[in-house]
Amino acid sequence: MPAILLDHVLHRYGDTMALRDLSLTVEEGEVFSLLGHNGAGKTTTVRIVNGLLAPASGTVLVFGRSPLTDGAVVRRRTAVLTESPTLDDRLTAVETLRAFAEMYDVPRADVGPRIDALLAEFGIADRANARVGGFSRGMKQRLSLARALVHDPDLLFLDEPTAGLDPVATQQLHDTVRQMARTRGRTVVLCTHNLVEAQALSDRVAVLGGGALLALGTPAELARRITPRLEVTIEIDPARHADAVALIAGLDGLTVAADRTGILRVGSIPRERVPDIAARLVASGIPLYRLEPHEPSLTDAYFALQQVGKGSA
Amino acid sequence: MNTRIIAAIVRKDLRVVRRSRALMTPLIVLPVLLMIVFPTVFTFLPRILGGASAAFSEMFRNLPDPVKQQFGEFTEATWIRIVHTQMLAPLMLLVPFMVANVIAADGFAGERERKTLEPLLYTPATDAELFSAKLLAAWIPAVMIAFGGAFIYAVIVNVTAWPVMHRVFFPDLTWTVMVLWMAPAFAALGLAGMLLVSLRVRGMQEATQLGGLFVLPVIALVVGEVRGAILLGPMMAVAIGLLVWVIAGALLLFGVKRFKRTSLVGKL
Repeated sequence: MPAILLDHVLHRYGDTMALRDLSLTVEEGEVFSLLGHNGAGKTTTVRIVNGLLAPASGTVLVFGRSPLTDGAVVRRRTAVLTESPTLDDRLTAVETLRAFAEMYDVPRADVGPRIDALLAEFGIADRANARVGGFSRGMKQRLSLARALVHDPDLLFLDEPTAGLDPVATQQLHDTVRQMARTRGRTVVLCTHNLVEAQALSDRVAVLGGGALLALGTPAELARRITPRLEVTIEIDPARHADAVALIAGLDGLTVAADRTGILRVGSIPRERVPDIAARLVASGIPLYRLEPHEPSLTDAYFALQQVGKGSA
Repeated sequence: MNTRIIAAIVRKDLRVVRRSRALMTPLIVLPVLLMIVFPTVFTFLPRILGGASAAFSEMFRNLPDPVKQQFGEFTEATWIRIVHTQMLAPLMLLVPFMVANVIAADGFAGERERKTLEPLLYTPATDAELFSAKLLAAWIPAVMIAFGGAFIYAVIVNVTAWPVMHRVFFPDLTWTVMVLWMAPAFAALGLAGMLLVSLRVRGMQEATQLGGLFVLPVIALVVGEVRGAILLGPMMAVAIGLLVWVIAGALLLFGVKRFKRTSLVGKL
């Protein structure tokens, strides 16, 4: 059973279409990213999945339950880290976590130990009894994440989770996400503009634009789909540089440039021709030291998809 | 209904209110003024002003006949009884009304303004549990302050009036009905009014300004009492209390139907 199933979901705010016939599934234990510009429909999707918004049409199921009719049951298994820390400045860190542990009905005996563990894990134990109003943005973000984890959710939504975090805290959050998914089998949905983060953490990504699903797949699949040709760096014996350039330039449709003697950069190669280039170099007796294909990144794919989405909108 | 969830939200809301100087100032000043300062000052007023007793006699003569008949000849003891059982009595109703009104404003509009409502909406609390918690967080302290204040008021009145009355004369039946029956009703009216306003506005300031309009029935009651237009006896207190309960109940019923996550999230 998928953690999330959206089937032909449509939602509007007045005359504005927020989600257009959105269909996707997120499997249990998966780290899934929702990518898109502001207004792409990411937050609307999170709200619909948690029963805060009712879609105009379509089916939404979370662990097989409808968030609209079984909202309390669904939300007991989910947690949402909102983009800006939505903490009450007048409460202390401990009071914040305790209040939410009780709201999520965490067993009484577990509340204290779990709070202590989270405060320690996120480096706020020494400020446990300080009011949140005096916290830095990074500390607030860490406390918000601790609050989201206080009931050990099965499905965690992280909306721009590393905004405002320093590199150490960012790395810690990435580790938490990986640990939740890989070790504990939890499902994580990232809503982010940070494409590098999405590529590093996600099993699959969905690119949204104007409320529509533009693409869905693994980061590598999307990148390949959008940019099927590779750029390859080839290192050969510098003494055979000219031979290698002549050989590659003679192949149909390939362009070659030299970074320096012995290092060639071959652009726009169809993926299936890479083994052929290697074979020809070796067959010509040119010593081949390194052949490094450069995969197109998710960033390349994202911007290409947004252009496509703009064109079709 | 999960009472643990409701209790957690109530505790959180009250803690937040207790730590806000802006909220606590009116919550302390108003009860102190109406429950401690006013009874003390008004008991001693004839003695403080001394020669102005003619003015009080004139005021007594202008009261409606039923009131005069109830209190008999005008003396200092009469003044004390009129002031505490008639004139000042409805003012006490301002306390539960305002306390509920202020706390409800913070709990609904204030929480939305601070952007702390959204994480609450993501919790497993049902709409009914959220609604109940928000109501109780405002109603319970309002009623407790009203009851506590009424007790202090009664003690002050009896102590300060002892040299004149020579007995425990207060509270009378009307006042007891007001405290136990009308005060909780006015607290409910205060929070129901604020709830309706908060569902429509975004900010705390807007909410308190509009929600304050619901105080007009209390003001009307006070003015009516002072001018002698309303003679508040036990039956009248029961009747007015019932009317306020019905109005507050209707407003709350109207509010609960609109208190839905799917509506609230639109105003985040």
